[in-house]
Amino acid sequence: MTIRRLLVSALTPKTTVRGHCDLPCGVYDPEQARIEAESCYRIVEKYGANEDMGFRTRAIAIKEERADLVKHHLDVLWHDYFKPEHLETVPNLHDLFWQATKQASKVKASTDLADAKRLLELIDEVDAAWKATGGPAKTRVAGRPG
Amino acid sequence: MTPEPADPAPASARPGAVRAAGLRERIRGPWRVIVAEASMLPAIAPGDWLLVNPTIRRWPKAGSLVVFREPETDELAIKRVYATGGARVPFNGGYIVIREDEAWLTADATREVAEAAGFGPPIDSDRFGPVPVDRLVGNAWFRYGPPGRIGRIDSPPPPR
Repeated sequence: MTIRRLLVSALTPKTTVRGHCDLPCGVYDPEQARIEAESCYRIVEKYGANEDMGFRTRAIAIKEERADLVKHHLDVLWHDYFKPEHLETVPNLHDLFWQATKQASKVKASTDLADAKRLLELIDEVDAAWKATGGPAKTRVAGRPG
Repeated sequence: MTPEPADPAPASARPGAVRAAGLRERIRGPWRVIVAEASMLPAIAPGDWLLVNPTIRRWPKAGSLVVFREPETDELAIKRVYATGGARVPFNGGYIVIREDEAWLTADATREVAEAAGFGPPIDSDRFGPVPVDRLVGNAWFRYGPPGRIGRIDSPPPPR
């Protein structure tokens, strides 16, 4: 071993400190929000077709939980997937997410099928934005299946 | 919103609040460390060799760099002191009062800077809350390597 290498190895610290950063998995897909929103849609349908109070109470509780998950998945896309430069491709991005998350709040409280349908449409717009910014190739392991 | 304190009872409410480890323990070091990950860019880069003073037993003044045991992971980490005991720190639209034996620690890197370096968003007190002094390990005060980066460590970037 040369003196230089000896010196470098003697000087190199043995203790590591982390400038800790989060490790994002980098996998994002609006489909995750859409599936929860479809749950809301179906639950509202079933709610309307069933008079049983016990069933209706459960339906509402589950719908509220699913609508909350829609908001969560939309927020993750908004905060973590989309970047400032994506605004060039999708200029209405912030407004779209605001509308979509507000609609999810509305669905949480509503038993009107039209509200649930509107949420699906808004998620489809988010999906189009995800596709327009190269989402399928960038964020899925081998694109979206199917 | 106040983050959950790491201890079951607030340290200041206990007789003889949280203390740093004794000198005999502290003198074992670490006296020098190597940095991994990017949350302290641009002042400190991954791979930097830093000299550490492990004998300190109180949080140094705001702006100082500290090595500490991170609350959630218990790993050795480095961050900058943003505020210490008694200060108010703006948080989530309101503020948090830092207890006497605690410090609020922040990353230098913005999310964009960390991402450009290939890492996720920096993790600091915004995530793990105020840090009690028994987690303090030392104060990083000089960069002694790698050659070419030797020198004083830069001041913090302007406040966010």
